[in-house]
Amino acid sequence: MADSIYLDHAAATPLDDDVIAAMQPYFATKFYNPSAVYLVAKAVAADIAAARQKVAGVLGVRPAEITFTAGGTEANNLAIHGVMSQFPGAHMVVSAVEHDSVLESAKEYDHSVVKVNPDGRINLEAFEAAITDKTVLVSVMYVNNEIGTVMPLAKIAKIIAQIRTARQAADNILPLYFHTDAAQAPLYFDLHVTRLGVDLFTLNGGKIYGPKQSGLLYANASVELAARIIGGGQEFGRRSGTENVPAIIGLSHALSTAAEQYRSAATQLGSLQKLFFDEVAQHIPQAVCNGSQKYRTPNNVHLTLPGTDNERLMMELDERGIICAVGSACSASSDQPSHVLKAIGLSDEHAQASLRFTMGKNTTKADIRRTVEVLAELA
Amino acid sequence: MQTVYVGLSGGVDSSVTAALLKEQGYDVVGVYMKNWSQDLPGMPCPWKEDYQDAKRVAVQLGIPFKMFDFQKEYRQKVVDYMIAEYQAGRTPNPDIMCNQEVKFKVFLEACLEDGADLIATGHYARVKNGSLLRATDDNKDQTYFLYRVTEEALKHTLFPLGEYAKPEVRKLAEKFGLVTATKKESMGICFVGKVGIKDFLTHELGKQETGNIVDAKGQRIGRHDGAIYYTIGQRHGLDVGGGLPYYVTGKDMSKNEVYVTTDLNDKKLWAAQLQLTDVHWINGAPEGGAKVQVRTRHRAPLVHATLKFDKGNVVLTLDDEIRATTPGQSTVLYDEQKVIGGGILV
Repeated sequence: MADSIYLDHAAATPLDDDVIAAMQPYFATKFYNPSAVYLVAKAVAADIAAARQKVAGVLGVRPAEITFTAGGTEANNLAIHGVMSQFPGAHMVVSAVEHDSVLESAKEYDHSVVKVNPDGRINLEAFEAAITDKTVLVSVMYVNNEIGTVMPLAKIAKIIAQIRTARQAADNILPLYFHTDAAQAPLYFDLHVTRLGVDLFTLNGGKIYGPKQSGLLYANASVELAARIIGGGQEFGRRSGTENVPAIIGLSHALSTAAEQYRSAATQLGSLQKLFFDEVAQHIPQAVCNGSQKYRTPNNVHLTLPGTDNERLMMELDERGIICAVGSACSASSDQPSHVLKAIGLSDEHAQASLRFTMGKNTTKADIRRTVEVLAELA
Repeated sequence: MQTVYVGLSGGVDSSVTAALLKEQGYDVVGVYMKNWSQDLPGMPCPWKEDYQDAKRVAVQLGIPFKMFDFQKEYRQKVVDYMIAEYQAGRTPNPDIMCNQEVKFKVFLEACLEDGADLIATGHYARVKNGSLLRATDDNKDQTYFLYRVTEEALKHTLFPLGEYAKPEVRKLAEKFGLVTATKKESMGICFVGKVGIKDFLTHELGKQETGNIVDAKGQRIGRHDGAIYYTIGQRHGLDVGGGLPYYVTGKDMSKNEVYVTTDLNDKKLWAAQLQLTDVHWINGAPEGGAKVQVRTRHRAPLVHATLKFDKGNVVLTLDDEIRATTPGQSTVLYDEQKVIGGGILV
């Protein structure tokens, strides 16, 4: 649909042309198995190493601290199981609004789910209280995929540092690692590890104009990770399987572009977001915006339109060429309403009247005006 | 203008039904019936997608959309009935029960209650002067499944597809730009999903006791894994070796035995007389001695027969013998185009 207005960038982003071009040689020309010893294969291995080096530079980490994975879900699984499986009986802490791949992984261990405030940010008192002497891993996302809230990672890191110090004093030798799922962050936020203050983080190529099923887990060299997928020992033994070379190359390109452009992209999207909110306030006064306005990714607008059926609304928009997402449609299904909207205190009724709009680099002001105009007619 | 509530299933037929009625000027409301379904491991019923397709069609037609929940009624009247029939050694028609008990009873009542003047479904059948008639498209005619509908229900029912052939309906769906235009035909019993009846029954009733498979000479020729899984008259891939296909001629549920033959001409496979119980008539019972045409399966060719009554049951003497009549299945009686009624084979 060439003329459609696509506002679901949190679900998937189109690949940039230069990303496709960078990946292209690795399908049929430089297709060799990077583990092979002949020279053409070694050249491919060198290209992977260069991609890893490039990613490491962007993130401010060492190349060997990066594990390429097939997407964000796998990286989250590797982070959680990779740490937790090594500490039998240990405990972990997650926020209530994490991605399913984090929440479901955490369920396999003793874990606490920390509530969030009505604005979608983690409740820091509850977070601190949730950490026990047996906690070895904390997983709190950077940017929420549904309502766009930015979590206070620096404050969490500070609390964790204090607890580590206290543990040293108390001769508690258990480590306390901090993981963040940063899948939604790279396009608009600083990813330099020294400023994040985390020990592990997850990235996903499919959300940053790179290929789907590309992703990575950064884990600080001090973090011992048990492999989830074993075999030929690729990725430093942390993730076996012949490398998905085009995906790795595509991810490294997309990530460097994101890091170069995040400031200007944040400004550009921020002004679109402001326009969106202003237009909604003017034309759809009954609409409620969910999630913190201040601590928010600039590409996300999440609205409750009281009294509507969000699934029908989404389809009505779709029929008019406007594509957005239904966070939780369960008027007829046995599905639970979105755990994120529940966590910020929305009633089921309001959750089922909510839509997510996530903009991207090609979104225009005209797109926003048109969207709100149609929405105002329908809501 | 009259208000018609259309049962939207998310399939092409009911979509076009709604579109045609809207075009004819009715006030159309789309209703998705949520019937009982069970998610079996790894094999969910595709109802969620169907629900979304139904809703999408309502959006495309610009009509209101509702969902009515009949899970309880469906479970009791259709699923439990079906399971009980299998346990009794018979092979029921749950679709007929669904029409009798759900679509043309509780659904109809709920729609009238909600403000409908009429209901419509995507069945291939016609209603004329209070009679139920076969569809113009003989290949699609669905009156076999509708013979237990009451005349009172027919008064409130429209079947707009009765005059159309299936390919025309697909073309109409494309013309109306409906999302369901190219959707695949749903097959089999919806709530059973894709698992098949055997897995469904096993899930509901547990593993069955194995028993003997006995041939026409009374020889035990193999073991079966549950007599309920065998349908009389059906050709079965029995794991008894020998090469020739076996046909099930009978079952003894108390002895847990299944009887088979390799002889297609075996008398037990053929019937010249049918006995029907639990009969239902549309617009009154026919006279004893009436000449009728009968159908023992959906789309089976019509066979001429003479009807007689025997203590509330109906006995049909067929002009030609037919093969594979199955206890529990329905036989439907026709007078040319008109559906007279029918009953359950004893």
